[in-house]
Amino acid sequence: MSRIDDFRFTRRALLGTALGGAAMLAAPRAFAAGKTLNVLSHKVHQTVLTAGKSGDLLEGWRKANDAEIVWSTFDSNPLQDRLFREASLGETEFNVGFLIDNRPTAQIASLFEPLDDYLAKAPIEDFKDIAPGLVQAMTIQGKLIGIPVRHATQGLFYNEALLEEQGIKAPPTTLEELVEQAKKLTFKSAAGTPVVGMVLASDLAVFPVMFARAFGGDYITKDFKLVPEPEAMEKGLSVMKDMFDAGALPRSYATTSNDDQVTWLQQGRAAFTVLPFARNAQLNNPQQSKFPGRIKAVEFPISSALKGKMPMSAVVESWAMTILKNSRNKDLSWSFLREVSTKRATLGMANSGNGPVRVSTYADPDFAAANPLAAVEAKVLAHARGAFPPFPEAARAQSIFLEEVQLAVLGRKPVKQAVADIRARVQPLLPA
Amino acid sequence: MRTDRLYIGLGKTLAVGLVLIWSLLPIVFIVLSSLKPGVEIFAVPPKFFFTPTLEHYVNLWEKWGTFFQGLFNSLVVTVGATLLAVSASAAAGYVCSRYRSRFLTGSIFFLIVVRLIPPIVVTLPLFPAVNWLRLNDTHIVLIVLYATFFVSLGTILMRTFIDQIPRELDEAAQIDGAGRLTILRLVILPLAAPGILAVAVFVVVYAWNEFLFAFIFTATRAKTAPFVISEMIGSIDGVDWGVLFAASTAQLAPVLLFVVFMHRYLVAGLTAGATKG
Repeated sequence: MSRIDDFRFTRRALLGTALGGAAMLAAPRAFAAGKTLNVLSHKVHQTVLTAGKSGDLLEGWRKANDAEIVWSTFDSNPLQDRLFREASLGETEFNVGFLIDNRPTAQIASLFEPLDDYLAKAPIEDFKDIAPGLVQAMTIQGKLIGIPVRHATQGLFYNEALLEEQGIKAPPTTLEELVEQAKKLTFKSAAGTPVVGMVLASDLAVFPVMFARAFGGDYITKDFKLVPEPEAMEKGLSVMKDMFDAGALPRSYATTSNDDQVTWLQQGRAAFTVLPFARNAQLNNPQQSKFPGRIKAVEFPISSALKGKMPMSAVVESWAMTILKNSRNKDLSWSFLREVSTKRATLGMANSGNGPVRVSTYADPDFAAANPLAAVEAKVLAHARGAFPPFPEAARAQSIFLEEVQLAVLGRKPVKQAVADIRARVQPLLPA
Repeated sequence: MRTDRLYIGLGKTLAVGLVLIWSLLPIVFIVLSSLKPGVEIFAVPPKFFFTPTLEHYVNLWEKWGTFFQGLFNSLVVTVGATLLAVSASAAAGYVCSRYRSRFLTGSIFFLIVVRLIPPIVVTLPLFPAVNWLRLNDTHIVLIVLYATFFVSLGTILMRTFIDQIPRELDEAAQIDGAGRLTILRLVILPLAAPGILAVAVFVVVYAWNEFLFAFIFTATRAKTAPFVISEMIGSIDGVDWGVLFAASTAQLAPVLLFVVFMHRYLVAGLTAGATKG
């Protein structure tokens, strides 16, 4: 008789195996290190800190603290959603969370540990070197709740090869020149590709805000003034409408997304776009782009009327590290924040494509030499600010704003009327 | 008359062809794009002839190790949820088929109601409860949730299959001294095997592709493949489309093959009881 015949598949064995298996699956993972730090972040944060060009920047910290870092990574919006949900529980396993600067309302900020006392007891290396505007964005009702770690500042990208093909020798220095060049660059290229002058996503507030700022206007200021200069917003939207009418913005403008901006520029289907400077490497990646090394960036130009009179204020979005108030082991979390904020780590992350939050990083000669956009990015960052401040109804307000912008650009509503409607519809959503 | 038949045949072929194009084009696009050099994926005009490359699969392996961990987690969760859902559905289907009471009628109504509830409605209130039970980020929470959402449909399907098995077989086994559990195990389940497979196909496809529950209730240890793919789409330093399509192909292939091999059971499940009475 074979051994197989001796095997009995009993109910007791089945139940035991099922329960044992379930217990194994439910059991938390055991780590060799003594302590575990659970971090909620975007994948990009993990990559630049542990697997970028600079290698593993946290190896020394882990050894010194006998700690293991467990990264849980999500896309931006889901990450913020998960972070707030975890922070709202009675207790959470997560210690550190990465927070976007346009999210912390007073209510959300209360979910995170105020860091002023930690900073006083165990200071961060040369804290004043971190861009004050980014620190300010994480200071809510006088309390510092996050340490800035990354920024994405918007610049104007252009395809140098297409400009040359149309006989344009230099990128624009005023908004009017940009419009003129974009119209000229709406053509069929020598390669047979139909080119549009400029491609912009229609589902992000960044772009209409940049056009309004080029005329000295804004969407919502830091002190919650809504469309403080209506004429500037009208001019900005009129320029976009004019470009759309001329075909210099694609016919598919209403459905164009952020990813389209990248692929259109890489494929030579658009001559200009507005993206964070950090996208330079991707746009010029020879494995993805038909124009590696030919896609360059400059500061988004201000209107000719304001050129030399005031700086262009580009849109910046930044990330900061926070400690969840309902977490354990906060001293270990603070130690992690201090390590990631060192000049060494900031430079290392910058070399891996992270927008550096320290002014001194831009002055580093090796970084400047390796990063052709370092100088212009530093210049733009000096005057950059968020698209709008955080407030509870920000998402709805942005949705209304974009709806009116689209109607105006597509010619479905007069620009003046759209701006008036933005003011009327968004005002009730602003904090009193 | 002959011409009419020809036209009807042509019309049918055209209709089937259009449906096939509509259904298969996205899949073909994904699979071909995963093999195209990155520069050519979105080329205008599109390139239909190209030298295939495995570079995106290599990059997927090198840069997104978590994806393969996710595939393993998907497998664990899918197998677990299928076993649980099939076991519970078979037992419940048997009871619903062989017994009659007000309580059972109410239970079946409740099962249908559960099916009607959008999953998002239960996820957010469940989050603190799952956290309190320390089941967050475990395979178990997904196995239980996926099985729960399919036990209703599974029970109704199994009842329909078991209804078709003559009660005389139960009675004959009973006369031979078999208890209810023995009858279910040795008489009913072997005869209801096509029904079990049909339920299994539904649960496998659902559990393998499900995103919402995985997104809400997992973070690191039990993260499934669709969740990792969503991270690739939302990369703030740019989407690597080739890698994304390679991951989508790797995620799609097992379930596609499974469905192709099991499609007749799927059809059996969908048409179960259709000719009854």
